[in-house]
Amino acid sequence: MFLGICLCIGSIRLSLGGFSNPGPGFLPFLAGGLLGILGFALIWSNYLRGLKKDEEVTKILPKDNRKKLIIPFLTLLILFVYVLLIELLGFLFSTFIFLFFLFKLTQPQKWVIPLILSIMTVILSHLVFSVWLRCQFPKGIFRF
Amino acid sequence: MTGFLENLSIGYQAVFQTYNLLFCFVGVLIGTLIGVLPGIGPVGTISLLLPITYGISPVSAIIMLSGIYYGAQYGGSTTSILVNIPGEATSVVTCLDGYQMARQGRAGPALGIAAFGSFIAGTIGTIILMFVAEPLSKVAIKFGPPEYFSLIVLAMILLAYLTSGSKTKGIIMAVFGVCLSQIGIDIITGRVRFTFGIINFEDGLGLVPLVMGLFGVGEVLVNLEELGTVEILKGKIKGLLPNLKDWMDSIGAIIRGTFLGFFLGVLPGGGAIISTFMSYALEKKISKHPEKFGTGVIEGVAGPESANNAATSGAFIPLFTLGLPSNAITALLLGALMIHGLQPGPFLINKHPDIFWGTIMSMYIGNVFLLILNLPLIGLWVKLLQVPYKILFPFLLLFSVIGSYSVDNRTFDVLVMLIFGIFGYLFRKYGYESAPLVLAFVLGPMFENALRQSLLISMGSGLIFITRPISAGFLITAVLLLLSPIFFKIRLTFIKNK
Repeated sequence: MFLGICLCIGSIRLSLGGFSNPGPGFLPFLAGGLLGILGFALIWSNYLRGLKKDEEVTKILPKDNRKKLIIPFLTLLILFVYVLLIELLGFLFSTFIFLFFLFKLTQPQKWVIPLILSIMTVILSHLVFSVWLRCQFPKGIFRF
Repeated sequence: MTGFLENLSIGYQAVFQTYNLLFCFVGVLIGTLIGVLPGIGPVGTISLLLPITYGISPVSAIIMLSGIYYGAQYGGSTTSILVNIPGEATSVVTCLDGYQMARQGRAGPALGIAAFGSFIAGTIGTIILMFVAEPLSKVAIKFGPPEYFSLIVLAMILLAYLTSGSKTKGIIMAVFGVCLSQIGIDIITGRVRFTFGIINFEDGLGLVPLVMGLFGVGEVLVNLEELGTVEILKGKIKGLLPNLKDWMDSIGAIIRGTFLGFFLGVLPGGGAIISTFMSYALEKKISKHPEKFGTGVIEGVAGPESANNAATSGAFIPLFTLGLPSNAITALLLGALMIHGLQPGPFLINKHPDIFWGTIMSMYIGNVFLLILNLPLIGLWVKLLQVPYKILFPFLLLFSVIGSYSVDNRTFDVLVMLIFGIFGYLFRKYGYESAPLVLAFVLGPMFENALRQSLLISMGSGLIFITRPISAGFLITAVLLLLSPIFFKIRLTFIKNK
């Protein structure tokens, strides 16, 4: 609903135009308005069913299930750090670190398997994507 | 007739080039692979491979991507039958009787009839597509902006309506998709919209990072919550060729599933998924022993598996005749055509017969490849099922990163993918389907153009949408569809009061 309101405001700033000559903000305004109305309808129907927001969150994320969120959360974090490092360290090196941590995440007690898997994947992806398909990846400070 | 034969020959020439045959094989192989593996769908895979197709010809690209689409329908049944986990959403129903058959030691005939049924349905579906698409494209030439506008409205409402769960949420996702498609430069006035000063947004949001985030990363994150081991039925799979009784029991279900699947596949929305449920319900209804359904009845496997394959052929009709995708996968195929500089629509078949007829012919060949891949090589796929997800998911994430990056060689796109990955995860958790968003995102620019052009033509009169019969027909259907839950409620109240 909030997004819909923001879109409507943004669309008005862009100029709506008229029905005979619709401007760049015309469709975003309609879409934003509809989004706002639908968002309100959804909140209202949830309210009528007695399912308030807090209850919904607890229903979807009961306390026992919150432990399950650790791995997805750490995966996202590793992925985010990878995106930040890829330009700086280059594709090969940052991909190795990225894969190593991901493999280690689900096999914390092992070192050798994640290490071998990461090295092999980096070599293979370099051969397939950089050499064969000629994709251009960042080289970073190590120039490889 | 001469023209038809000429077209067939164009198709054969295109598909029998070694290069295209190879891409057809690669497509169906990848399709089977991702169909077998739960947690990786054809949408994510096609978006992943989209950047790789830049370097190959458009015919090869479409042949390969289509192969992934229909190949995934074959592979999905393997997991349903052997593990009781559907490899694809279209194979959910197959679990009901397929897994029971496997538990009774009849995994072979279940896998066999799924593969043969898929082959028959895929082939018949392709034949219908071949005969129907060209005449329909001639009708589609008569479509102007108002007809396109109304058809897109209907397509989006249908998709939102047919998705599982809340209809309101489905429509919200479709509207959100339209909103996202508005980011970038307005092609009529040249004004920059909703970029928040970020230059990379001026070309609009990329389809690949968006889809990869929603379907690739989002799916991985959801699956990471349940890192359990998959239990596969032990024992060697014997007797893949169904016996005469199996054939007698299934052939009717295969034929009914084929036609039902094809016509539901044409409809915008989750045609393939719905067709499997409808086929199962139909078989159960007309069966002499409906009580046995769910206990390992072969018709319960044959019907839905045929329906989902025929539906993939049907989904190509609106894509090739109108240039309108009917689901998220065909939306990506549309994107692939556009990336290769082709304008999908009624003129595509005449202007680029090699694309249309080449794809059609590749479907025949692809179905033969799939039969070989899914029967003699079934053991290989079963072994693949044993690869733990904790080994698989880093590869999926890496491919998503590479796929998003290599579109424009920008880290920014990877960041966009990451953000949509979070969105995709949350959408799944809160019961919002991403398919209407993707379809609306792809159709958004076309939708806006059709709306603005229609209003310009009519000097601002909205009546243009209801005074033209085809457009009015589409809009009336859309409104009836929107109002149908109210009709159902009124009817229910009426019955209750009675």
